[in-house]
Amino acid sequence: MKLVSAVIKPFKLDEVKVAAREVGVSGMTVSQVRGFGRTGGHIEIYRGKEYEFDFVDKLQVEIVTTDELADQVVDAVSNAARTDTVGDGMLWVTDIEHVVRIRTGERGETRRPSTLSDSSGDRTKEEYL
Amino acid sequence: MLFAATNLPYPSWLNPADNTWQLVAATLVGLMSLPGLAVLYGGLVRKKWIVNTMMMCFTGFALTLVVWMLWGYNMAFGPQAHFGSTGSFWSGFIGHFHPIASAFSEQGQAISGANTLIPFHFPTATLVYFQFVFAAITPLLFLGGLVGRLKFKAWLLIVPLWITMVYCVNAALLWGGGFWAQKGAVDFSGGYVIHLSAGCAAFVGAAIVGPRRWQDRENAFPSNLMMVAVGIGIVWLGWNGFNGGDPFYAGADAAAAVLNTNVATAVGLLVWMFMDMLFTKQKKPTFLGALNGMLCGLVAITPSAGFVNGTGAMLVGLIASALVWVAWNYLSKVRPFSKVDDALGVVYTHGCAGLIGGLLVGILADPHMIEYGVVGKIYDGAGSFSVAGWFYGHSFHQLWEQTIAAVWVICWTSAITALIFFVVKKTVGLRESDEVLAIGDLAIHEEEAFPEPTFGEPVGTPSHSHSDNV
Repeated sequence: MKLVSAVIKPFKLDEVKVAAREVGVSGMTVSQVRGFGRTGGHIEIYRGKEYEFDFVDKLQVEIVTTDELADQVVDAVSNAARTDTVGDGMLWVTDIEHVVRIRTGERGETRRPSTLSDSSGDRTKEEYL
Repeated sequence: MLFAATNLPYPSWLNPADNTWQLVAATLVGLMSLPGLAVLYGGLVRKKWIVNTMMMCFTGFALTLVVWMLWGYNMAFGPQAHFGSTGSFWSGFIGHFHPIASAFSEQGQAISGANTLIPFHFPTATLVYFQFVFAAITPLLFLGGLVGRLKFKAWLLIVPLWITMVYCVNAALLWGGGFWAQKGAVDFSGGYVIHLSAGCAAFVGAAIVGPRRWQDRENAFPSNLMMVAVGIGIVWLGWNGFNGGDPFYAGADAAAAVLNTNVATAVGLLVWMFMDMLFTKQKKPTFLGALNGMLCGLVAITPSAGFVNGTGAMLVGLIASALVWVAWNYLSKVRPFSKVDDALGVVYTHGCAGLIGGLLVGILADPHMIEYGVVGKIYDGAGSFSVAGWFYGHSFHQLWEQTIAAVWVICWTSAITALIFFVVKKTVGLRESDEVLAIGDLAIHEEEAFPEPTFGEPVGTPSHSHSDNV
């Protein structure tokens, strides 16, 4: 099992979600985070005084996936999150020792089929664009 | 005639229109403090200082009213105590320390040394309350220079002392028929007594209390610009009572003062915004900048609202906003201004703007703007009152009187404020400890502006937590 973690621009979340579902991802976890990278922070001016905001608002998306799917998920997420401007964020993949589904107690790869086609009310990527 | 005169439920000297307007105007001015300044300052300070700042606004208002009832009103507006020979400075210094306690002292006809021309047509209680809301807003204004480090207990001592020793003295001298009023200096609604005085007190107080922690100054960005909008919106419209109430008659000068106030404010707002767009490095219109200009217009028109005509009012807004913009951006970089941490810039938007407005009375006041009484045969009272500035009277007399009064207000306020702050420093102390300052509201009040459990109970999913809005 692999954990795909991506720090992305907040307004890209919906596109990342749709793209991940299209390659068969059935769930993800999102957190509000702040950080800086090569681009640093930004300046805001209040009452004539400049304030440096070092940390920029980002979202961290975490997707647990099978080893076979991992590459496709990485491509889908990074393509969807890309704006080709500075501050697009970063993505990394880590190995997971094992996974437990809390309700059923199932361990290891659960291999649930993607539910994209039947249960999702979300618009597809094409409808967004 | 609707009623026979003898059936009127009030005495013959009482005019219900005057009384109504005076009470409405007083309430509008009260709203400028609560919630106006409370949420304005709450929005301008950092999140961790919101509760402390608002608490000081509410306690300052309450303390002032108690002082006002016990001795403040009569000290400022009661009969002069005549400490010296008639006509001397000490003769027209302050009134007696005397409470507003009896039934008559509330319901009897209002009398003030400030207006000897024609009598007031409302009871003393109306005048006491109207003058109270002006007194109460003044310490709240200089609080703006002290937020973010002033000890709460110190504030509880400073307000009664400052109202008594600074505000009541200046008010008696300029408004209560005191020495400067007798000399001919005028201050329509408090450019000197309130704003110049608050600016000086903020500056001197901030110098003595010392600066905020450097971490707090580095991160002194405002907590909530929408609250700033709510607060300062109430302040603008509340000013209709501030200046519209000061003729003390619901007449033509009240209407003119309201209109003049608003046009000066509009011009002040636009001038600051355009100067931001033309002369700053970023060339951007900023919301808080425009509000500074707006405040300059409001403050500068205050001493002249019912003395200048429409042209004069627009000039007041233009001159005050432009000059204070320069002071804010350049004077603030030179000593002693660069060395004093006047947190919200009170010395500029109130001190400088009040001084400029007070001096402009001596230049722009139009003698055809009648404050009391009317011109013509239908009025058989004691006469009318108006002021002539240099443009109309071709004399520097009024400008000279305005200058002397300004020098007095600056010197007296600064000296006595320093005295009060030193006494408080030696008794309860002026600053919270650094450990308390690092935490803020939670350390001082065990409260915070936006309490929210981190774990446990669900806090819902309000729209502001949507990923698009973070």
